[in-house]
Amino acid sequence: MTQANRLAKGGRIDRKRPLTFTYNGTRYTGFEGDTLASALLANGVDIVNRSFKYSRPRGVVAAGAEEPNALVQLGSTESTQVPNVRATQQALYEGLVAKSTNGWPNVQRDLMGMVGKMGGGFMPPGFYYKTFMAPASMWMTYEKYIRKGAGLGRSPRENDPDTYDHLNQHCDVLIVGAGAAGLMSALSAGRSGVRVIVCDEQEEMGGALLDSRELIDGKPAARWVAEVLEELTQLDNVELLPRTTANGLHDHNFVTLHERRTEHVWDRATPINGRPQVRSRMHRVRAKRVILASGTHERPLVYANNDVPGNMVAGAVSTYIRRYGVVPGNTLVLTTTNDHAYRAALDWHEAGRKVAAIVDARKSPEGSLIDQARDLGIKIITGSAVIEGKGTNRVSGACVAEIDPQGFKVTGKVQDIECDTIASSGGYSPVVHLSSHTGTRPQWRDDVLGFVPGEVRGLTSAGSVTGTFDLKSVLENAAAAAEQALSDLGSLDSSKKIEVPKVDALKEGPSCELYQVPHTKDTLRAPKQFVDFQNDVTASAIDIATREGFESIEHVKRYTALGFGTDQGKLGNINGMAIAARILKRSIPGVGTTVFRPNYTPVTFGAIAGRHCRELFDPERYTAMHQWHVEHGAEFEDVGQWKRPWYFPKTVNGKKETMHEAVNRECLAVREKIGILDASTLGKIDIQGPDAREFLNRVYTNKWAKLAPGRVRYGLMCKDDGMLMDDGTTSCLGENHFLMTTTTGGAASVLEWLEVWHQTEWPELDVYFTSVTDHWATMTVTGPDARKLMEEVTTDLDLDRESFKFMDWKEGTVAGVPARIFRISFTGELAYEINIQANYAMKVWLELFDKGEKYGLTPYGTETMHVLRAEKGLIIAGQDTDGSVTPEDLGLQWAVGYDKPFEWIGKRALTRPDTSRKDRKQFVGLKPKDPSVVLEEGAQIVFDPNQSIPMTMVGHVTSSYYSAHLKHGIALAVVKGGHERMGQTVYMPMVDGTVHEAEIVSPVFLDPKWERQNV
Amino acid sequence: MSNIKEFDCRPVSQEGAESPMAWTHQHHESRPAGQNPGVRIAEKAFLGHLILRGGAIVLDEAVRDILGIALPGRPNTMTQNDAGTHSVQWLGPDEWLVIVPGGEEAELETKLRKALGDAHFSIVNVSGGQTVLTLSGANVREVLMKSVVYDVHPSAFPVGKGVTTVFAKATTIIRRPAEDHWELVVRRSFADYTYRWLLDAAAEYGVTQERA
Repeated sequence: MTQANRLAKGGRIDRKRPLTFTYNGTRYTGFEGDTLASALLANGVDIVNRSFKYSRPRGVVAAGAEEPNALVQLGSTESTQVPNVRATQQALYEGLVAKSTNGWPNVQRDLMGMVGKMGGGFMPPGFYYKTFMAPASMWMTYEKYIRKGAGLGRSPRENDPDTYDHLNQHCDVLIVGAGAAGLMSALSAGRSGVRVIVCDEQEEMGGALLDSRELIDGKPAARWVAEVLEELTQLDNVELLPRTTANGLHDHNFVTLHERRTEHVWDRATPINGRPQVRSRMHRVRAKRVILASGTHERPLVYANNDVPGNMVAGAVSTYIRRYGVVPGNTLVLTTTNDHAYRAALDWHEAGRKVAAIVDARKSPEGSLIDQARDLGIKIITGSAVIEGKGTNRVSGACVAEIDPQGFKVTGKVQDIECDTIASSGGYSPVVHLSSHTGTRPQWRDDVLGFVPGEVRGLTSAGSVTGTFDLKSVLENAAAAAEQALSDLGSLDSSKKIEVPKVDALKEGPSCELYQVPHTKDTLRAPKQFVDFQNDVTASAIDIATREGFESIEHVKRYTALGFGTDQGKLGNINGMAIAARILKRSIPGVGTTVFRPNYTPVTFGAIAGRHCRELFDPERYTAMHQWHVEHGAEFEDVGQWKRPWYFPKTVNGKKETMHEAVNRECLAVREKIGILDASTLGKIDIQGPDAREFLNRVYTNKWAKLAPGRVRYGLMCKDDGMLMDDGTTSCLGENHFLMTTTTGGAASVLEWLEVWHQTEWPELDVYFTSVTDHWATMTVTGPDARKLMEEVTTDLDLDRESFKFMDWKEGTVAGVPARIFRISFTGELAYEINIQANYAMKVWLELFDKGEKYGLTPYGTETMHVLRAEKGLIIAGQDTDGSVTPEDLGLQWAVGYDKPFEWIGKRALTRPDTSRKDRKQFVGLKPKDPSVVLEEGAQIVFDPNQSIPMTMVGHVTSSYYSAHLKHGIALAVVKGGHERMGQTVYMPMVDGTVHEAEIVSPVFLDPKWERQNV
Repeated sequence: MSNIKEFDCRPVSQEGAESPMAWTHQHHESRPAGQNPGVRIAEKAFLGHLILRGGAIVLDEAVRDILGIALPGRPNTMTQNDAGTHSVQWLGPDEWLVIVPGGEEAELETKLRKALGDAHFSIVNVSGGQTVLTLSGANVREVLMKSVVYDVHPSAFPVGKGVTTVFAKATTIIRRPAEDHWELVVRRSFADYTYRWLLDAAAEYGVTQERA
């Protein structure tokens, strides 16, 4: 295909570098420097999509982020599919593959179009609203159909092969937008030496200056842009980020920028020198000052059939001609309310194509551009507007008539003018999005006919976003904005004040206020007049919405879907508000202002996730013995962020044990011989200070006054509500020195808890806490043969049961390494917990296996640990407790010291009547009547299984396992008044209708006299 | 302060000792760095790490006498000797991290305890619980910007500064002992995650790894 609409010269494209690309299955050629949209227009592709609701053919309307129609599905492979890319923002690259997102089965011949044309009422305004109202069940049916027809693009079905990341940035001044205002501010801020970031969403910085007709300092504007960029590049304190959109402005000037680093090059990020590159990057900027130089979006006029391909906003016509060397048609009619849009006609004329007429809504427009048009002999029709476009798949003519904008009526005869392109301009809407993200409402200005940014702390607006449109004022305004920002920062150096370059002021006349163009028929009967192209919202839809009683623009918006989707109110918002205001006979600000929310344009999930995905999604914490566990086939369990061995399945006769088999084997090894557990993950806190003991007295429920050096005690920690928070042992190392252990999950929160109480309530206590969780590796050697192994690996320890008793700790040497050894037991068996400086732990661990093999030393994981402790009725905080269980509920009243001299955390709550109720849920054991049954954890307990549903639930199962040693299932549970119900039967009705029966027993299933741990 | 049980947990023989990076180095093959890598990562393994707690006025003289370095006078700064072998870093209003060559920590603790006598303070050996990674090269700052929210621009993070901050989803101490390199003090259990994160974040610049 030839590029029929491509000019022989001009534009910022490189004609020596042709690029081939595929669009909807057809191959085309464009040039380096094109966007996908400019390349499609160059090739004369008129229809780029089908509209959402009516399935009408749609063409390219704009040239930037505000484009509502040219949304494409990008990607040459399944894994690189990207939905809803705006063709106007996608740089062309060799081999680009794109499809239109809308149009089923294709954009040229369309089934939905038939529906849209035949049954105009298929989706009336308020469609979503009404279908949601009733009957709700129909929504699923509608949705399936709409989704397929509307085709909002699709996500890839394969994993994204690229990487994305975040970059945390800090700067003094962040400048959003690198058009005339942005660059002027950047020059000023950059020269002052402060840290500056300039971001711009386009491929090239320069904004409208890249296609401007004006001269700056006597040079073409684009040359001034090049010179400024050259200078900024040389400055170390300035970072330029092209292809980077400021998508969200959050509190305290935290701004998220989305930088597309490789999307202009290829489908995937190509490695450079073998080094992987990042596809796109989220800059998380903390800026002291933000200069918002986001410019304006031109408003199209709302006339009948204004959506037929060939209708464009005037500024886009200029951009395509001057920047890309593409004239998107042969004969132009321009309909405008202002001087500025005349440029489109001048550019069209200069490109050698025919301007059929300029239709100006003003009675007698006067200005430099108008004079230029007159001099070129272009026909100007004043006091009129295009009231209707002709054509179906492409504009074939324009109906022009004299109108009365104030009276909203056509006052003259309608004349048809033949053309294939209608450019329209209803004025310019400042891009205020970012300024309203933190909740500030934009302000309406009658002199601007648009909303300008409201007051936002730390943000200064610059250039046309402030409602100042002529280049001279824009530059002056931007220089002043930069000065203000520097002054706020205390970095204003008046000796470095920069001069604003010279620009000839154009003579410009005032604009005329016009949004919807009157038609000879009233709005409901006239051909469709589109307000929001992306969501197919028409002027008549807004009319109907107001007739149905929706008066606030927020309600109108939700009723009609105006400004929804990726559009976010860029093109149609003001027109929609103006129409509602006219019908309701109010002012535009009188119908309200809409609020813009992040993100300004869509951001890929990859950029949001950054590197926090796959194996880096969350930290995995490893113990010093992790490698051994992996090498010995451990299955791992996530405990907080820790990877703990869950069980160690063996392969017996070529068959890997199931978890059940492995756990039974591990349990029996501990009960009958000897096992070893990596307990390094338990929290460990070193406590020093003369008031350490007193502090323990206050944070634990039990007494610490008499714990002697060399002894260990189990302690319970409650929150101030009296409910158990954490438990563990604390050892007295010296008179003023203790080592506290916490649960694995509680390590950080307990340390924080201690610090909070110390710093806020009891600062007078002299005590310090330091985490030593990672410093010590802990290995638990337990089982009847534990002492035999300990005797072999220690040389300097008296392991006699009398001299090294249960709940003693000692220093010694284990396998040649200094160790603290604690005789504490979580299994109910003889146990030694060995603490080794973690750097030497692997060495000791290996030595234990070397010597322990002959005793059958068996590594066990957390699952076996759970079974063994459950056989002994030992709780796990967080599993058997849930923040509503007191020490007494657990039957641990022996560990509560009500007579301690000083108040302790939880005491007051525990002396309330509620905490001593007899019918509280109390901790008990459950022995299933059928020994083969293992109850479900979480199963609800009832006293009477024959009562009607809903049954009265009296508790639930907290832990449940099969005990290989006892040869029956065991469970721990909380049951109302359970302590007084020993021997009674309770029932657990299951989902499948079966009812399990169990006897309430002591939670200590094994060795009730606790003799095994004292051997 | 008296009635504290000092305990030298370091064995005489260093045979078989494993730094927190041991598993990482076993498990992950290093990628070829290519020419002129922008980042170099090395580990300073097996150093002596002590957490010192107490008021600055209480500790300063003893630290100065015994270590030959003053306590850092301002928050988020560090002091070190000329050779860079001994350092003290401010971690909090009453908390300091002392790093010395491996094996000196127990003796240092004893000397400090003796010098400090009955004052209220605490000294805790955490040598097994953390390790030091050094980062150098032209792109270190970019790698840090990808990892921490803290401002690491030279104007905000001059030589001699050190902070405890969020690193990706872990916590790390970041410090800048010299113009040409940075140090991360990482917790043992988070070392593998932190290291893998660094390799991934530095991949686009090319990265060489020096193993302890």
